[in-house]
Amino acid sequence: MSRKRAVKSKTSTAAPTAALHSKENGNAGKGTAGSDAPLNGVVYPSRPSLSNSSEFYDIAFKVMLVGDSGVGKTCLLVRFKDGAFLAGSFISTVGIDFRNKVLNIDGVKVKLQIWDTAGQERFRSVTHAYYRDAHALLLLYDVTNKTSFDNIQAWLTEIHEYAQQDVVLMLLGNKADATHERVVKREEGEKLAKEFGVPFMETSAKTGLNVDLAFLAVAKELKHRSMRNPNEPTFKLHDYVNKEMKSSGCCKS
Amino acid sequence: RGEADRSRTTAKDRVQRIDPYGFERSEDFDYDSYEEFMSTYLQILTRRSIKWSKLLQGKSNVERNLKVKRYVRKGIPNEHRSLIWMTASGAQEQMEKNPGYYRKLLEAEHDAKLVDTIKTDLNRTFPDNIQFRKTAEPCLQHALFNVLVAYGHHNKNVGYCQGMNFITGYLIIVTKDEEKSFWLLEALLGRILPDYYTPAMLGLKTDQEVLGELVRLKVPAVSQIMVQHNVMWTLVVSRWFICLFIDILPVETVLRIWDCMFYEGSKIIFRVALTLIKHNQALILQGKNFPDICDKFKEIIHGAFVEDCHAFMQKIFTEPGSLSMTTVNKLREMCRARILSQEQ
Repeated sequence: MSRKRAVKSKTSTAAPTAALHSKENGNAGKGTAGSDAPLNGVVYPSRPSLSNSSEFYDIAFKVMLVGDSGVGKTCLLVRFKDGAFLAGSFISTVGIDFRNKVLNIDGVKVKLQIWDTAGQERFRSVTHAYYRDAHALLLLYDVTNKTSFDNIQAWLTEIHEYAQQDVVLMLLGNKADATHERVVKREEGEKLAKEFGVPFMETSAKTGLNVDLAFLAVAKELKHRSMRNPNEPTFKLHDYVNKEMKSSGCCKS
Repeated sequence: RGEADRSRTTAKDRVQRIDPYGFERSEDFDYDSYEEFMSTYLQILTRRSIKWSKLLQGKSNVERNLKVKRYVRKGIPNEHRSLIWMTASGAQEQMEKNPGYYRKLLEAEHDAKLVDTIKTDLNRTFPDNIQFRKTAEPCLQHALFNVLVAYGHHNKNVGYCQGMNFITGYLIIVTKDEEKSFWLLEALLGRILPDYYTPAMLGLKTDQEVLGELVRLKVPAVSQIMVQHNVMWTLVVSRWFICLFIDILPVETVLRIWDCMFYEGSKIIFRVALTLIKHNQALILQGKNFPDICDKFKEIIHGAFVEDCHAFMQKIFTEPGSLSMTTVNKLREMCRARILSQEQ
C-alpha cells in the first residue's frame, strides 16, 4: 500500500459519532456490537455525521481479506477504495490494518470496514482471533503463483475453524491480467470453488476487473441478510456473481 | 522586489520534497506546520549537536550514566546516531568479537525458501524512499536483502518475519553499513525486544496484552470502552509493536523513539503507546461503536502532537507516569502465562 495514500484517504478516519441502536428490533447499544450473534458488530448509527457526507452510514460490516503473502490483498483494497493502481508503490502489510468504504446498496448506506491482513503464515495466529468477528471473508490467491493456490485448502480449513458458520465467503483469483505469467487456469479456480461451495471470480487489481463487483456482492449479501424486507426476494450471492462477473478474456471487460 | 518574491513563496516551495532520509513527502504533507516546527527544532538540533560533540570528544564509546541517559532522551544527533546505537545496544561489542561472521553468513549456501520470502518483500519495502529504488545508486534493496538473508541464517528460529524488512531498512538508512545493521538487528531481536518475530509470535501477543493491562491501570476509561465494544488490542496496535512505529509515526519521531529504545530497552514502546492513548483519551472515548473506535486509533497517530518529535519525547516520560521494568516484567510474566493457558 502506498504510504501516502494510507495517510491521505479522506474517509478512513473519523466515522460518525452517532449512538448505537438497531433499526430492526430496537436492541440498543452494546449488545449489537461484538456479541456472539451471527451478525455481531453490525452497527446502526441513528444520526448522520456532519463531518463528511461520505462517512454517513446506516449499517456497518466487517470484511476481511485473507490469502498468502503477495497475492495482492492490499492492491485489491486500494483499487476498490481509491480506484487506483500504482505499480511498485505498495508496502507489505504487517499485522492487520483496515480501510473504510461506504457503498450505497438500494438506498441504504453500507459501511464496509475492510481488514487487510499480513499473508505470512506466522501472523495467522495473531489475526485468526478476529475471524470470528468478520461478517465476510474474501480469500485470495494469485493466478501467477501456484503455491498460493495450493494453500487455499489450508486457508479454508483455518476459516472453518475460526470464522462464524454463516460468514460470507468468496474465493478470488487475483492478477488475472497477467496472461503470460498465469499458471492457474480459471477452470481450476472454478473447480475448487465448486468443491467447497463458495462463489468464485477472477479479479485484477491492476485493470480493476471484478474488483468493485466482489465487494459490492458481499455488501449486497450482508445488507439483505440483516435487513430483509419480507416482500423482497432473497438475494442469491452465487447467482448475482455469476450474472455480473466479467471474464478476463478479450471481448468483455 | 526580491523580498516581495520571497514573501510570495510558500513553505511548500522552500521545504525539500524529499526528507533527509530519502523519503518523499506525502501529498498531504503539511509544509507550513513543518516549517514552523523546524524553525525551533533546528536550534535544538544545533544545541544538542554541540553538547554531544563535547561529550564524545572523539571517543568511540559512551559510558552508561544519568547524563548520557538524559542526552539520549533529548535526541542523538544524526551524525552520532549509528555510533551510540551500536555501543548502547552491545552491537559494537558483538561485531568486534565476531569478525568476519557477517560475511561468512552471506557466503554460505542460502535456504531457498527463506530467500523467496524475503524477495517477496524487497519491492514492498519503502517504495517511497528514493534510496530503495531499483534505479538508485547504490540501491539499498541489495543491502536490505543481504542483511535479512544473513539474519535469517544466523537466527533460524526467527528466519524472516514481515516487519523486519522495515526495521532493517531504517537501520541501513541510519548506519549506511550492512554489517552494523546486521548487528543492530541482532541486538534488537536477540536482546532488546521480546520474541515478537518467532513463528508463534508469543512475545507480540504478550506485549499487546501487557499494553491492555497498563491501559486498564493508567487510562481505565479507554480500557472500559475497548471491552464494552469488544475491540481487541491486537487489531489496533499489532503494527505499533511489530514495526516499532515505522510507518505509524513520522520518521523523525520514530528515530527519536529508537534512540531511547536502544539505550533503555523495550519498555519505551509501552511509554509511546500509553502516551498516544492517554493524550487522546477524550477523542477515543468519542467512539460510539466498534468501527468508530478503530477509526480513532488511526486518528491519534497523525497531527502536530506526533510531528513535534521533541515535545512528544518529553511527553512520553511524563504523560504515562511511572513505568518500571519490574512492573513490565511482572505483567509480561502474567500475560504470557495467561496466553499459554488459553492456547492449550
